Amino acid sequence: MKNGKSHVLKALTGERAFKAATISVLALLTLFFTGIVLSMMVYTDWDTLFSTLISREILFAIRLSLTTATIATVISIVIAIPVAYAISQTEFPGKDIIDTILDLPIVISPIALGAALLVFFNTPIGAGIENRVMRFVFEVPGIVLAQFTVVSALAVRLLKSTFDSIDPRYEQVGRTLGCSKLKAFLRVTLPLAKDGLIAAGILTWARAVGEFGATVMLAGATKMKTETLPIAIFLNLATADVEKAVAVIFILIAISASALIVLRRISGKRWQI
Amino acid sequence: MIEIKNLSVRLGDFSLNDINLTILDREYFVLLGPTGAGKTILVECIAGLCRFRKGKLWIDENDVTPLPPEERQIGYVPQDYCLFPFLNVLNNIIFGMKEKRVEKDKMRQQVETLAPLLGISHLLNRDVRTLSGGEKQRVALARALAVSPRILLLDEPLSSIDVRTAKCLRQELRRLHEELGMTTIHVTHNLGEAGELADRIAVLNMGKLEQVGTPEEVFFYPQSETVSDFLGTAGFPRRVRGTNLTIY
Repeated sequence: MKNGKSHVLKALTGERAFKAATISVLALLTLFFTGIVLSMMVYTDWDTLFSTLISREILFAIRLSLTTATIATVISIVIAIPVAYAISQTEFPGKDIIDTILDLPIVISPIALGAALLVFFNTPIGAGIENRVMRFVFEVPGIVLAQFTVVSALAVRLLKSTFDSIDPRYEQVGRTLGCSKLKAFLRVTLPLAKDGLIAAGILTWARAVGEFGATVMLAGATKMKTETLPIAIFLNLATADVEKAVAVIFILIAISASALIVLRRISGKRWQI
Repeated sequence: MIEIKNLSVRLGDFSLNDINLTILDREYFVLLGPTGAGKTILVECIAGLCRFRKGKLWIDENDVTPLPPEERQIGYVPQDYCLFPFLNVLNNIIFGMKEKRVEKDKMRQQVETLAPLLGISHLLNRDVRTLSGGEKQRVALARALAVSPRILLLDEPLSSIDVRTAKCLRQELRRLHEELGMTTIHVTHNLGEAGELADRIAVLNMGKLEQVGTPEEVFFYPQSETVSDFLGTAGFPRRVRGTNLTIY
């Protein structure tokens, strides 16, 4: 009996120690991220911060970032919906290879992707597009293209997991109720994927707003021309204008935090049946 | 009448082999077999949800083999009902009618007929996520019946319901079948369910049709060791049909 008691006590102690250890690591990581944000406040002169926020340059960067990220997100989601659906619900030869290729932009450095795009526009096909269709290199459309290249794979990945989680029987029921394949997709699968679509849209958009590497390679870093928020941070730090850079960092943090809050609210009320 | 001739399907390692079956008009037909026997695949083939590599399917003497599901006039209730969570009960029921552009008056009339028949009149404005298992089953039935199908396919409709509710629903399914007189194919692995509901039973095992007959014929005269094993009658004395012989 005594042995039994000590065994239970030992198990309880072990359980508590494990819980304490995991919570300590969690606290340390949270502290690390909070510390980074707090450290910026030391550098911040609040009067300068507010005047910077309404300066012409920063307002331009905010407007450009929000516009280009929104366009890149809309294009990414529109393309990612059929792509993710095909990968999730269809079997075809070479599916694994295609799936891996589509994942590459997630793991490749954005700078490398931007450089690859720059090289592409130096090939005859790329130069043809530049001269006859639209100019991308060191121009605003280049920002959208760079953001799209980086975030579309993320959109595909997020939407694929959304479609994976939808039981294909819903669509089958839709078919027996009179829907064609396309109508069943539009009237059954898409409404079922609504929360996943919104979540994918928000995450893709937030990632596009923060995109730097591919953008700086393809569209360059020209003040008041291709100056998105991350590029504004880069340009202002390069000229040692730390306060301006910090102001832009705060804007980016605010955008990301808002996106995450909306995302958490959505994921909290997922369809359950 | 449904006629299945030489139907064969291959899905990965599993295959349905050379199925020949005739299901009569207004018959309550039960597909019985253990898990993995191929019952659901056979029902999906009838519904047009699973393409088969060989064989033909006739419904009321029309070859429906090449037809997509939306043109087969079939009512389908899957295992977990798959009610659309983004629609309330009423909108679930009228989903198919809307798709088929049924007039609003006719739609209302159909709901007014089906809802009392299935005892769901009080649920029409409810969110389907708040329904109990039995209520979901009735709503799924109403949704399938609302499009006036020629055939009703029920895939394990009582498997996720507690025993007491399932017992009540069995009686309701039988009553509904008698009232509507619709050809019904019911998939189950439950012997009691099959015995209580079926006009005829087909026993499937590992993609092969083992026996077709009335509940009496199947339960008292299993034609193979596999059927006998599945029914749990192995070792029991049974009469050989058409003779006075009893096998012990």
